[in-house]
Amino acid sequence: MSRFLALALALTAAPAHAAAPVDPVVPAPTATDWAALARLPDWSGSWFPVISDQVKQVTTNPAPWKPAVQNQIDHWTAEEVAGRPRGLLVDCLPHGVPTFYLITHNSIEFLVTPGRVTVLGESDGNRLVRIHTDGRKAPEDPDPSFHGYNVGRWEGDTLSVSTTAILPQTWLAVSEAVGVPIGEGAHVEQRFHLIGPDTLAVDLTITAPAVLTKPWQTRRLFTRKRQRSYEIVEGVCRQGDFEPTTDQWGNPSWRLTQQSADGNILAPGHP
Amino acid sequence: MLKKLLPAALIACAVAVPALAHHSFAMFDQTKVVNLRGVIKEYRWVNPHVSLFIEVNEGSAKHGVWAVELTSPGNLTRLGWSRKSLNVGDKVEIEVNPLRDGGLGGGFRKATVLATGQVLQARLVEIEKPS
Repeated sequence: MSRFLALALALTAAPAHAAAPVDPVVPAPTATDWAALARLPDWSGSWFPVISDQVKQVTTNPAPWKPAVQNQIDHWTAEEVAGRPRGLLVDCLPHGVPTFYLITHNSIEFLVTPGRVTVLGESDGNRLVRIHTDGRKAPEDPDPSFHGYNVGRWEGDTLSVSTTAILPQTWLAVSEAVGVPIGEGAHVEQRFHLIGPDTLAVDLTITAPAVLTKPWQTRRLFTRKRQRSYEIVEGVCRQGDFEPTTDQWGNPSWRLTQQSADGNILAPGHP
Repeated sequence: MLKKLLPAALIACAVAVPALAHHSFAMFDQTKVVNLRGVIKEYRWVNPHVSLFIEVNEGSAKHGVWAVELTSPGNLTRLGWSRKSLNVGDKVEIEVNPLRDGGLGGGFRKATVLATGQVLQARLVEIEKPS
C-alpha cells in the first residue's frame, strides 16, 4: 500500500519538480558590441527593389514547381493575363518570407544593432523581419509566423540568414496575382551582400517540399537611395479601403469606400 | 433578445466586409490607352494606391466620373509627386489603361495639368536604378 502511495505522490508531485523551461536572457550590449558594428558593411539608406529584374528572374529562372502546382500557377497566370487577377495581397495580410523579398514594389531598410539585423519594409503595413545574429539557434518548435524565425550570421561582408517556422498559408508568389501557399516544412536561406557600391543582392534558396521539386535558387536586387524622398514612409495597407468623412459629432472620421470585387476603387455612381 | 442580437449582427456584417486595398493591376487592359480630359473631383493620397476621380465631359472617352489608380504615396514622392500635385478643380488630361470590363476606371499612365503644362508620370522603372 505504501508503495502505491509513494508512486501516486511521485506522479502528482512530478510537475512541480519538472525543470522550468529555459528562457535565456539576452545580455545588454556593451560598448565593444556597439563598436563592432563599425566593422560591418554599410547598408544605410533605403533600398528600392529592382522591379524589372524581379520579372526577369521569374521568366528566365522559374521556380521548379511540382507538376500539380505548375497547373495552379498556369491557371492563375492565365487568369491574370485575362484580366481576372486573384489579388494575393487584397486581404492585407503580410507578404511573409520569402515573398517579402521576391515581389515587393516598395523600399526596405536595414537596422543593424548588436545581435540583430531588422529589415524594415514600407509595403502593406510597414512589415519587418527580425534577424537574430547573436549566435542563437532557432528554437526547436517556434510558433509558425508569416516571416518565420530568422537566425543570421555574418560571414565577412555577407549576412547569411536561415528562416524556418513559416506559416504554411504564406504565399510563395511570383507576382501580386500568381503564387501558391508555401506549405508545410518550408525553409528559406538568404545571403545578403553588396555586389556594387549601391546594389544589394539577396540570394535566396527556397526549400518548399510541398510545392517545389527541388530548392529554388533565385536572386533579388535592391538599389540604394540616399535622398530623403526615398526614406520609408508609413504604409497602412487598409487605408485605401476607407475614405474620409465626418462622424455625427463632426469629428474627422472614415467610412468604407466603394470597391470592385477585384479591389480597385470605383467612381461614385459606378454600377 | 432580438434588439440585443441586431447590433451584433450589424457589427458582424461590418467586419465581414473584405479588405481589398492592395490589389494587382491586371484588371486594367495594358494593351489599350484611353485619354481622359476633364476636371479633378477628388485626389486621395493614401496607401497602398493613390487614386483620383476625374469628371470627363469632353473628348471621345465615355463621359462621367472615372476612377484612376496609381502606385503608393511613397513611390510617387520619389517620382516627384506630392499630396498637392493635383487639386480639386484642376483641368487635366490623363492617360489610363482602362478597366477591361468597360467600367469608368483605369490604371494611371500620365497626367498633364492643363493650366501649367506640368507632366506627371509614375513609371517605377525610372527609380530602380542607382542615382
